[in-house]
Amino acid sequence: MKRRDFIKYLGAGGIGTAMGIFFGKNTKPPGAKLIPYLVPPEEIVPGVGAWYSTLCAQCGAGCGIIVKVMAGRAKKIEGNPLHPVSRGRLCAMGQAAPQGLYNPDRIKGPLKRAGSRGSESFMEVSWEEALRTLAENLAGLKVKGSAEGLYVLAPPLRGHLDALIRDFTATFGSPNYLPYDLFDNRNLAFANAVSMGMESLPHYDIENTRYLVSFGADFSSTWLSPVNLSYGYGQMRQGSPGVRGTLVQVEPRMSLTGANADEWVPARPGTEGLVALAMAHVIVAEGRYRGREARQWRSLLEAFSPVEVAKVSEVEEKRIERLAHEFASTRPSLAIGGDVLSGYTDGVSGLVAVNILNHVAGNIGVKGGVVPNPVDPFFSAPGRDFTRSISTVRDAAESGALKTLLTYNANPLFTTPDNLRLRESLDKVPFMASLSSFMDETTAMADLVLPVHHFLEDWADDFCSPSVGKPVATIMQPAVSPKYNTMGAGDVFLELARRLRHEREKALSGGTEILGEFMDERFSVKDFQEHLKRSWRELHAKDRRLSGGNPTFEGFWNRLLKDGGWWPEGAPMEKGPAVRVKDVAAYMPKGASMFEGEEAKHPFYLMVYPQAGLLDGRGANSPWLQELPDPMTSVVWGSWVEINPATAMKLGIKEGEMVTVESPYGKIDAPAYLYPGIRPDTVAVPIGQGHRSYGRYAKETGANPMDILPSLQDKGSGALSLNSTRVNVSRSPKPGWMVKIEATKKEYGREIVQTVTPEEFERMNKEAT
Amino acid sequence: MKNLVISAVVFFVTFGIGYGINEAYLADRAPAQPIEFSHTIHAGDNSIPCMYCHIYAKRSRHAGVPNVQRCMGCHKIIKTDSPEVIKLVGYWDKKEPIPWVKVHNLPDHVYFPHKRHIRAGLECKECHGDVASMSRVKRVSPLKMGWCLKCHTKKKVENGRDCWTCHI
Amino acid sequence: MSSIFKRIKDKLADYRRPGYYKEFDYHWAIVVDIDRCNGCEACVVACYAENNIPVVGKKGCDDARIFNWIRIEKYIEGEYPDVRVKFIPIMCQQCDRAPCEIGCPVYATYHNQDGLNVQVYNRCVGTFTCATYCPYDVRRFNWFTYKPDKPLDEQLNPDVTVREMGVMEKCTFCIQRIRYAKDAAKDEERRVRDGEIKPACVQSCPTGALTFGDLKDPNSEVSRLARSRRRYRVFEELNADPSVIYLKRVMGNGKRSHD
Repeated sequence: MKRRDFIKYLGAGGIGTAMGIFFGKNTKPPGAKLIPYLVPPEEIVPGVGAWYSTLCAQCGAGCGIIVKVMAGRAKKIEGNPLHPVSRGRLCAMGQAAPQGLYNPDRIKGPLKRAGSRGSESFMEVSWEEALRTLAENLAGLKVKGSAEGLYVLAPPLRGHLDALIRDFTATFGSPNYLPYDLFDNRNLAFANAVSMGMESLPHYDIENTRYLVSFGADFSSTWLSPVNLSYGYGQMRQGSPGVRGTLVQVEPRMSLTGANADEWVPARPGTEGLVALAMAHVIVAEGRYRGREARQWRSLLEAFSPVEVAKVSEVEEKRIERLAHEFASTRPSLAIGGDVLSGYTDGVSGLVAVNILNHVAGNIGVKGGVVPNPVDPFFSAPGRDFTRSISTVRDAAESGALKTLLTYNANPLFTTPDNLRLRESLDKVPFMASLSSFMDETTAMADLVLPVHHFLEDWADDFCSPSVGKPVATIMQPAVSPKYNTMGAGDVFLELARRLRHEREKALSGGTEILGEFMDERFSVKDFQEHLKRSWRELHAKDRRLSGGNPTFEGFWNRLLKDGGWWPEGAPMEKGPAVRVKDVAAYMPKGASMFEGEEAKHPFYLMVYPQAGLLDGRGANSPWLQELPDPMTSVVWGSWVEINPATAMKLGIKEGEMVTVESPYGKIDAPAYLYPGIRPDTVAVPIGQGHRSYGRYAKETGANPMDILPSLQDKGSGALSLNSTRVNVSRSPKPGWMVKIEATKKEYGREIVQTVTPEEFERMNKEAT
Repeated sequence: MKNLVISAVVFFVTFGIGYGINEAYLADRAPAQPIEFSHTIHAGDNSIPCMYCHIYAKRSRHAGVPNVQRCMGCHKIIKTDSPEVIKLVGYWDKKEPIPWVKVHNLPDHVYFPHKRHIRAGLECKECHGDVASMSRVKRVSPLKMGWCLKCHTKKKVENGRDCWTCHI
Repeated sequence: MSSIFKRIKDKLADYRRPGYYKEFDYHWAIVVDIDRCNGCEACVVACYAENNIPVVGKKGCDDARIFNWIRIEKYIEGEYPDVRVKFIPIMCQQCDRAPCEIGCPVYATYHNQDGLNVQVYNRCVGTFTCATYCPYDVRRFNWFTYKPDKPLDEQLNPDVTVREMGVMEKCTFCIQRIRYAKDAAKDEERRVRDGEIKPACVQSCPTGALTFGDLKDPNSEVSRLARSRRRYRVFEELNADPSVIYLKRVMGNGKRSHD
């Protein structure tokens, strides 16, 4: 080696070492900081999760939950093991709640409309300005003497928040507080009210039944209280050794519950209620009915013989008879109806028919049947108002009676048929304010956006309905502190009341009495937390059951927050009401339900149903729920149209191809999914996708079937009829793709899911004992 | 050409050496803190036990830095005229936590519970050194996997050499 | 060199020995009663929340890169109107003689102290061998580093590693929960009680289809259920000896609807 080279290498080595040291120093992350607590909260140990019990508000079921909080952030949600509704379990949607809390598209502070209405251009304002704007608007209404021009639209709340908003609206001078939710079981409540005189929804005791006939009710995914009813389903199947309940599902499109059924009865759409009546007919005609009015029942059900019903429903006469025999002879048995059935134009008739079937089989008010929920003077809000519905809002907006619309967590623009023309009507409303966490379709129309806390940050309470045969009260308390510049919903109303009171005093000093009373002490508390606590203090003082174990209120309150609510142990079961002939006679169906559209032009029935996890579309902004494969089709991130393979072959449609679904009211495009579990004369589209707003995950994903539905409404209950139109299906030139997780629908003899026949199962049980 | 290749090789080898030297000898193992807190006075002269201030060590994976309230518990009365205590009172009055600089920063992807080690009867100083004699805390252990394993092997820790004991 | 070969040979012999786990204290197992499972997928979301599972988006799903550690498989048999649908939850079967372990060239997947088949992210170099060897298709590969949009990352579970590009991952039976329970048991100097540990999927299951426990304890709930006459294991013929035991679905042959 030459000396020259050696020096060169030495140089290279020197530079290398220097750069190594330099690089090593500068690529290190900056010194991490250790930030201590200023004052440590007693119950928190860093690195160990703290669990808070609260209420899940993802849907209306009212499950009690516990939230794991670490370093001030909500990490995991589980069912509250003490809670009688959730029983420590939770559905997919409930567990995805932190995705709403930490959603990147949450509204971070109050907004005021800057551009034209619906253009989604807003400017940020302070809470002071936002509340002042709203209070001044309301005061203005009052001054002009049109207080009843205030409409408040909220989901069906049941606790003291409901009472507060009701009080606020009434005190202001408006009777127009309307609870609205697409899937709030209006038809079911109405049918039970007229046929059984029940004010609250009953508990369907699936857990203890041995023969369950479900007319369209998909309790495994969304119906009523899916967590509680799914628990009941598991117990019914394998809960007690040797006894296995049977599930029969009557519906034209096999839902998730239908897929688990022992028998799927694909009746023609709109005839499920007739099948129920035919079963009742068989039971009564064969003298199995032992209750009162046997003769009257016989004549009422005369027209619904299996022979006649078989003609329209395409369910064989023998099959109806067999189902009726099994239903009557297996004790206890239970019939439930909902979802598809209640979505028909005569949904109430169908649900009344199910009640009749339960009545003649003696299933009402027995264990394993329909268990009435007590109507408790403390725990029940005023009964439902069936006379007013979402079309009331539309009509008021059209006529100009609606001056100011206040929506709270309600998104009627997405969940009502386009044909209702709500968007055009709301354009005429002078002032719209939205209390919402997200820029959904309705909020995008608002003049003022008041972002409210996520339910994991807020106070509220809930009196479960349907409950589980006893009163269940659940407390919602903040698990985490508010992430953004938001306000609790109750606090907003209390603050509005304070400001209106102030306006009133100003007006009084000017010599005019123009504003209503907000002087009541109900409105003069500091915040909603105080309001809630005081309301519970009143309950505690009034109700002996509450003060029984805890003589002091503070002790009771702490217990309430720790356990997540209050529910008495071992409450006796209520006696069941009877279904009377004279009450139901008016609701007997004349035949199959009506569908819009002519058969020649629109040959297929359209069934729409809530997609598991998305419900009425509210879950669509959660990436987890978008990526959760649909249980039946395994489709992710989008909509689909379910078509029977035979039909698809006739139409020349292959799986994944875009198709146009056209009703008399419009058309949508979505990819086709070939689904053997649907009648050849029926197609189905899930609700939940196709948002125009609602954040980056929901926007422009899939299609919304509400766009093609007629705006039919039940005359009695005011519920929208979702399954009320016929459609035509054709290939679509539009681009689009479907992503499904499954590679195949078939098992190809791999014996992955092994089965035993019921007979074998019985033999196994005998051998075991 | 050959020269260039050899130079490059030499460069990369020495680069690695330099990087290693930095890691092993030149890293700042005793960073300056926002308050010149002296363990010599507290743990040394006044022999306050470690877990009087680091309250979570026995209960959690984190030992925990003392909360400001705990500092103020004593310093409302004691040595209120010292310039460092005045800084502390400043933080307290502003209701701001003290941004301490982390001295013992574990590598990523490792699960280290203080609790298990304390309950196994380990002295704090076996890893942290004789903190009672440090006026500014200095890292004395390399906190590398080899160092962990050496101790786990020596003490015959149950499953102490299993990957998922530390890498969860 | 030959000593390395010998060590590898010994290790492989270890794997082939039946009942590899039996020298350990616990043998964790899940019993799945398919007759209870109604396919609601609450377990899938529970797993996403507990184990920091990334979301890959529509394109990622189309490329079969979805990360579901547990999935509900659905099979539809027959033609309308005699349609039979079957659901089965499939997660890592924690095989006793795991095919994946034999494949890994860097020993990144191995049996840990509880007979669990675990994946060491630090060691994994992403050869994909284990995923090709796995008959149950439960291993998931990080083709990219999937970062959640801020502030969704605030929901990440600090007890579970967030994986990055180039490593394989799979169901761990929620080993962090097992660790917490064992930690608590050690404090009180006892064994872990039956029912004390519930992996996220087991905990969330509304129908109670999943049960978790120790198969070595003959009185545990899983041992009791595993003695059921409906017991079977998926692909038992492959002799991988999985720790997930299924109880057969009770189901007619579809003839019911013919009469």
